[in-house]
Amino acid sequence: MLRVTGASRSYGDEAVLRNLSLEVDTGEVVAAIGPSGVGKTTLLRLLALSLEPDDGTVALDGTDAWTVDAASRRSLRRRIGMVFQEASLFDASVVRNVEYGLRVRRSWSERLSDELAGLVGQSGFDDAVHEALDVVGLTEKVTQHADSLSGGEAQRVSFARALAYEPDVLLLDEPTSDLDPRNTAVIEEAIGEARDRGIGVVVATHDMHQAERVADRVAVLLDDGITEVAPTEVVFENPADERTRKFISGELVY
Amino acid sequence: MPVEPVVQSVPALFEPIAQLSPAAFDLPFREGYVRSTIFVSLYVSVIAVTLSTLVSIPIAILMGFIEFPGKRFVKSVINTGMGFPSVVVGLLVLFAVSNQGPLGSLNLIFTREAMIMSQFVLATPPITAISLAAITGVDDGVRDAARVLGGTRIAVALVVLKEARYGIATAVLAGFGRAISEVGSVLIVGGNITSAAGISKTRTLTTAIQLEARQGQYETAMVLGAVLVALVLTVNAVVIRLGDSGVGR
Repeated sequence: MLRVTGASRSYGDEAVLRNLSLEVDTGEVVAAIGPSGVGKTTLLRLLALSLEPDDGTVALDGTDAWTVDAASRRSLRRRIGMVFQEASLFDASVVRNVEYGLRVRRSWSERLSDELAGLVGQSGFDDAVHEALDVVGLTEKVTQHADSLSGGEAQRVSFARALAYEPDVLLLDEPTSDLDPRNTAVIEEAIGEARDRGIGVVVATHDMHQAERVADRVAVLLDDGITEVAPTEVVFENPADERTRKFISGELVY
Repeated sequence: MPVEPVVQSVPALFEPIAQLSPAAFDLPFREGYVRSTIFVSLYVSVIAVTLSTLVSIPIAILMGFIEFPGKRFVKSVINTGMGFPSVVVGLLVLFAVSNQGPLGSLNLIFTREAMIMSQFVLATPPITAISLAAITGVDDGVRDAARVLGGTRIAVALVVLKEARYGIATAVLAGFGRAISEVGSVLIVGGNITSAAGISKTRTLTTAIQLEARQGQYETAMVLGAVLVALVLTVNAVVIRLGDSGVGR
């Protein structure tokens, strides 16, 4: 569904990714693992269509995102959700945060009438917001202000915010690296829920155990490229690539 | 006006404040003088700051969201403008509105409109610079989030502006503070004029204070000074309260 083919990207003279290819399909979880600084975030930004590759293509359902005009690219981008390592919630209530993606998909005149309806206490997004918050177990926080949440709760709201508009693809950049085990478990469960809904998920993580827990397939990024993409059990038990084997077994230390 | 001793006991000094509202008493200034001075001060400053805000915030938004050649230069002009001597601004506006100046035909010299012009010039740089700092200070993560959630450029900008609202309110306050406390330029372009009946035409609290103090009318100067401080504090308190209640909270 979402496919990056032969993509390279450098910042200045420094090549971060070289000739990289990866695809995520409907209803599967792909984990991108590798040490810090190997280009996982750059890969996700390429997939999110927020960064243009120097070489290669990024295509959603066969449409090359960087050969179409900006408006078409935005409609492609709107089928993709992304969660960052930091929650980066807006300075507003939980419900305003979660419904944001839905709100910006409405026209300005629709948004105006939404706001007026909101003044008398009706929001057209109640169901979607409730459903998304339910996935991360925070429905009771819906009216609270984002400031009042703990770090873990904020990240769970951030996940719900990306889920609320039902994207086809969900990109998660180290979503749990700042979280305690309990919140991490909630997020991992939510990843499974997203997959069950048919969403293609790419999760970048340096936590190999997490990749083992959540992913159907694993892409191993070492240095500036993918050394291996294979089903999770193959990568962890019987990797084809020698460097992958060393990285998995901890012999290759970065 | 009755002649008052310069040195007074403290209660006597504050007596005029207590008696400000009712009319029938013996004041060191004529009825309506303080009120009209307050009015002129507020009239000029509020209009000038409103105009400045209407100009400054779009500039700050453009500079905060769009890259263009010469941006650093514009930024340094604005920063220089923050420290520009107000008397020089007054002088330049005076030249502009004087009979031989480019705006001479409008007969703006010694009018409130001329005072608004000079306060506008003075208030615009701080409002722009502080707003810009507030906008660029918004966490990049928030911009990224708004963008990946599907926001158009305008939608992303609105999110950033909302995050920056306290900073922008502070900027407007700073501009108002500069405008209402301003002496030099409004003295030059306004002329510090009252009518024969002692009603302010272009006399502001600040220019009145400096004149009263120079004439030895210390208690009048004190009253006006207290009013000025109270005004600034009130406006600050109101804006901070508005910021706290906030949009969308």
